[in-house]
Amino acid sequence: MSDSNVFLPAAHGWDPRGLDRLLHAFPAGELSEIAGPWSAGAGSLLLALIARVTASGQHVALVDGADAFDPTTAMTAGVDLERLLWLRCRGRSREAWSASDLVVRCAGFALVALDLGEPRLIRRERMPYALCRRLKLAAEQSGAILVLRVPQPIAGTAAALAVSLRRLESRWIGQPRATRLAGITAEARIVRCHAQASSLAAGQVIQWAL
Amino acid sequence: VGAVRRLACLLAREPVEREQHHLLAVALGHSPRVEEEGLGLVYLDVAGLQMLYGGETEIGQRLARAAAERGLAIQVGIAGSRMSALAAARSGQELTVVPPGQDAAYLAPAPLSLLALSDEMATRLQLWGIRTLGELANLPTPALYERLGSEGLRVQRLARGEDARPLRPWATPPVFEESMAPGWAMESLEPLADALLRLAERLCDTLVRRGLSGDEFQWACRLSDGTVREGSVSPAVPMTDASAVALLLKASLASRPPRVAVEAVTLRAHAVRVAPAQDSLIDRARHSPRMLAATLARLSALLGEREIGAPVLLDSYRPDAAELGPWSPRTSRPELNDAPDTPRPVLALRRVRPPLAASVTLTGGRPVHLRSERLTARIVISVGPWRSSGEWWTDRPWIHDEWDVELGDGTLCRLAHDGSSWWLEGIYD
Repeated sequence: MSDSNVFLPAAHGWDPRGLDRLLHAFPAGELSEIAGPWSAGAGSLLLALIARVTASGQHVALVDGADAFDPTTAMTAGVDLERLLWLRCRGRSREAWSASDLVVRCAGFALVALDLGEPRLIRRERMPYALCRRLKLAAEQSGAILVLRVPQPIAGTAAALAVSLRRLESRWIGQPRATRLAGITAEARIVRCHAQASSLAAGQVIQWAL
Repeated sequence: VGAVRRLACLLAREPVEREQHHLLAVALGHSPRVEEEGLGLVYLDVAGLQMLYGGETEIGQRLARAAAERGLAIQVGIAGSRMSALAAARSGQELTVVPPGQDAAYLAPAPLSLLALSDEMATRLQLWGIRTLGELANLPTPALYERLGSEGLRVQRLARGEDARPLRPWATPPVFEESMAPGWAMESLEPLADALLRLAERLCDTLVRRGLSGDEFQWACRLSDGTVREGSVSPAVPMTDASAVALLLKASLASRPPRVAVEAVTLRAHAVRVAPAQDSLIDRARHSPRMLAATLARLSALLGEREIGAPVLLDSYRPDAAELGPWSPRTSRPELNDAPDTPRPVLALRRVRPPLAASVTLTGGRPVHLRSERLTARIVISVGPWRSSGEWWTDRPWIHDEWDVELGDGTLCRLAHDGSSWWLEGIYD
């Protein structure tokens, strides 16, 4: 990998250029996938995407598979909560897929996010790839950005953009002894990027501090 | 020299939809400048009527008499602004006249509820201790603008009895109807369908010119035996496409064909104004109200009515103090300053709802092992405690210590200890 393919975080804080390019790379009318284990930054990346879309005055539907969305953190991240439709599925994975299918077909949502970030939700589903294909076709019709947050990749070639997350480090604060988690440094690797006019390519790595 | 504005407010004591036209007729019988504000509430301009009917007291009495003759019980208020005229009409007397220039003084003791304030505005003014229109009117205007913006100025002007908005003149609602009587009897469906197509074209043309769409199309055929056959069609979305409307009408006629020849046909449209699907070229298409309502209804059936909505933060530091509120698409655009291109990256927390009971092993007062239904692992890093408490003044006080921990597999969690039990509150993601 060449050096130009890596966007490193700044010495203090984070590199806005890399994250900004990544957030703008999620294509409208396509299915995208954010995969990564817990604490790798996948949920934070999805939150940043929701914040960017609501801040531009558009509406977002969040299908919350495990009822794990935290409005307080979202508010801190800059999400306009009044532009967010929150669908709480409380661990019912089949209903979460059906709700996504319904909401992605309803024109007017710029972003539809399906959060299945818990392994138990994925294990229950027998044919996730077929469901992803169905959602992809629906997104093509409505023109919405459709994003799937999962612990491990399941969409395969149905995803126009696939991003894999991992955590590089954790940071802690507090004197004389640490009392809180300050944040993490996350790394996103572009696994697949078939989106047209995207500034990213498969294999690129983006790092930023949270 | 500007003319002194004088308005009369006619307020029905028992507003009824079917009597609204009587109220309008009373107002229109005295002044050509009439505004319909709502059910049982009409304003009319009475400036200059003195030459016709005498003083304002006589005008007011005349209005009340005219209403009584039509079987309406009304209260009349005459003042220089809508707000003061409304307050006068609500005073309980049959007629109240506020002398010119006395609007602010008359409104001063009136409660804030007279203004149709938003919940947010009403709550804020209540927190400031503002109870009456006089107190609102006396607030320093620049400071009010700094805190409440232009909406604050608007309500203050109303509280002062200032009313610069002209009356919105009431006009007879237009009837969208076209008829055709060709002079010969139409004995089959084809000529009838052709006639309906021509009527639909004329009707849709009229609707388009007024920026309206047809929500329902009603047809009526006068038959050669003297009877009338009627029907209607309601397209899935409001439309002005004449050929599509004609097809629907033809299908409706075919399902209930007239028994005898048709001598005349009438087509009537119920007009609605459809909001533009897109504000500008670069904006995204708006939600279609029908599609959105149908989708939300289906989602409610799928997930449960109480599982859908907009997240609303509660005024509390209690962990996970949020609930679901009703959701409706916002049409206003955010201010440019409020729309950063790149949001602040924040470490997300996945809530565990409800918090999961956990068994935590301590060494030297610090967690070293976690066992719960969701996660069981060795704790490699633990930081804390971070003590939070609140609502000690209520019957539901809470206090707990939060610990951020890193498990052996790299998962970062938030644990809480309430003095007796440990809970898994969330997982950083």
